[in-house]
Amino acid sequence: MRRALVAITGLAASTTALVVLKAAPGTSQVAQELPAGQAPAAPVPDEPSPDSSAAPTSRAPAATRSPRPERRASSSPTPRPTATGATRTSPTPRTSTAAPRPTVRTVTGPVVSNEFGNVQVQITVSGSRIVDAVAVELPEKTAQSARRSEDVNSRYSGTSGMVVARQGADLDTVSGATATSGSYRQSLQAAIDRARG
Amino acid sequence: MTYPGTYSERRPGHQQPRAGVRPPAPAPLPVPPRRGPAGRRILTVLFLAGLVASVLPWWLDTPAGSLTGATAMTTAAGQITGLLAGYLLLVQVLMMSRLPLLERAVGGERIGRWHRDVGATLLVAVLAHTALILVGYAGLEGRSPLGQAGVMLREYDDMVSAFAAAGLLVLVGLASVRAVRRALPYELWHATHLAAYAVLLLGFAHQFSNGSQLFRPGPVRTGWIAAYLLVLAALAGGRVIVPLVFNLRHRLRVADVVAESPDTVSIYLTGERLDRLEMLGGQFFRWRFLARGCWWQSHPFSVSAAANGRWLRLTVKVVGAYTRDLRDLDPGTRVWAIGPSGTFTAAHRTRDRALLIAGGSGITPLRAMLEELPPGAALIYRARTPADVLLHRELDWLAQARGVQVWYVVGSRRDPGPRQVMTPDGLRRLVPDLPRRDVYLCGPPGLVEQCRQILRQAGVSRRQIHLATFEL
Repeated sequence: MRRALVAITGLAASTTALVVLKAAPGTSQVAQELPAGQAPAAPVPDEPSPDSSAAPTSRAPAATRSPRPERRASSSPTPRPTATGATRTSPTPRTSTAAPRPTVRTVTGPVVSNEFGNVQVQITVSGSRIVDAVAVELPEKTAQSARRSEDVNSRYSGTSGMVVARQGADLDTVSGATATSGSYRQSLQAAIDRARG
Repeated sequence: MTYPGTYSERRPGHQQPRAGVRPPAPAPLPVPPRRGPAGRRILTVLFLAGLVASVLPWWLDTPAGSLTGATAMTTAAGQITGLLAGYLLLVQVLMMSRLPLLERAVGGERIGRWHRDVGATLLVAVLAHTALILVGYAGLEGRSPLGQAGVMLREYDDMVSAFAAAGLLVLVGLASVRAVRRALPYELWHATHLAAYAVLLLGFAHQFSNGSQLFRPGPVRTGWIAAYLLVLAALAGGRVIVPLVFNLRHRLRVADVVAESPDTVSIYLTGERLDRLEMLGGQFFRWRFLARGCWWQSHPFSVSAAANGRWLRLTVKVVGAYTRDLRDLDPGTRVWAIGPSGTFTAAHRTRDRALLIAGGSGITPLRAMLEELPPGAALIYRARTPADVLLHRELDWLAQARGVQVWYVVGSRRDPGPRQVMTPDGLRRLVPDLPRRDVYLCGPPGLVEQCRQILRQAGVSRRQIHLATFEL
């Protein structure tokens, strides 16, 4: 019995240790930006830009690191995309927004992160009309989230998807994939804003 | 059937049938060579290596610094406990596979103890896994944990069976809590324990459809499936193939049932090729008597005489419905046996001399072992009443033939005699070189535990104390 107690304690201790070890920020650079209060505040487009261009890995976007309450990330998506989005994929929109021509353009939205992973949407705009939407990146860390991403993707993306049908980011949430739907809309909205200059 | 590397290969002279010689056999009997704890240590190291290997995929998959916030950490802890629980479940089943390798390197007694400790840990790990994943996923999706449970049951693949597996496992765990187990009839307890196989089956699928480390095809997934197959193979080998070979080879039958005392019987068995039966005194078999009312359960009993090439004997105290039925076994009844197993043998001694302490019918394995211990052993036989002393004529005979000192300590625990002997000083007075001896203890759990403490106080190191309790 004593040994069982030792084993159980060991189990708890080692699990905690593993999690804590992985939670500790590694050698990576972008960990300490954006204090907690800043994210919902007014957009500060230029502040994190050196970081994001210096670290094109884009796996761990800056904004997600800040210690914010968990729920908000999925339920109230509005404040952040402008903060991170405008800077993250800056090269594309700047060249394209400079001269809005009635030709076919491709505009990429920012990477929006939620707890499942990253979402990035790319739209194809012909004139002022969205003709196609493609998810560049979707969460697929677990089998379940991969499957949900699939659901979201099949509903929203494509030339006949909901994005093209509604011509905007006002999309129905895919049930069971609230967070990914929200992130998709965020990225999409930013891409649309960018496309409209 | 041969067990390569077992003692009999290295024990010349013991293999010839000693026909015509009345066992217990005459004086210069060979003593089995020692078997060290190496096998056990290797298995322990393998176990720990497996533990690390089971968490390694998670460690490699998770980038450092990626766990921010309580929710991500909870989910990660849930994944870790899940991987550990999956591994421990396999270990639990493997330990109960009756594989001769395990049964002889570790011994049924110790495996039983490990199984109980790992089982408690497994139960906690599974509960933690369930709770952490529920809370973690609920946090991710902004639901209550209970609501999340509902969503998982409805929308996630294979989660209904996984929840069922967790429920069954809790049931098995509860039934094995010592107090509960004692209150349950053996049959009911055994039936609940068989549900553990269902846990293995029901819990299988969700690991691969929802496990973050396992759902992607790749070496990790392949390895995990291979581990399952390996355990299944061990199970088939230890529970089916090896026993089948053994029983087809030896074809054991009941020869006679003899009363030893008012509530104890000896069952004599004969069979074929018993001279090639590789067995050490003190080992036990799991017996299944193929008679009406008995055939569906198997019980471990040690053999109460060393291998003699002609017959086997087990001595059983009547304590319940099952053992009562054993008194009425007819000669000729077929017997299905799994074994031999156990490390409670003369081969596992660490010193040249031994002290044996028996309580009541705990004498049976010690009686068999006495035939194989080096001369100079001592035996203390605790019994409540003179009628509880079993096999005493054989013991006296062995005492003469093999130079064994025998003390009968008869009386209740509170009587002056037993009280005097069962102290560190009392034992040292009987056996002055006690700290330099191996001590073999067999008896009811209370006596064994009491003796263990006394022996530790008397300065006997833990490695020299060999235990066999009735609880198996």
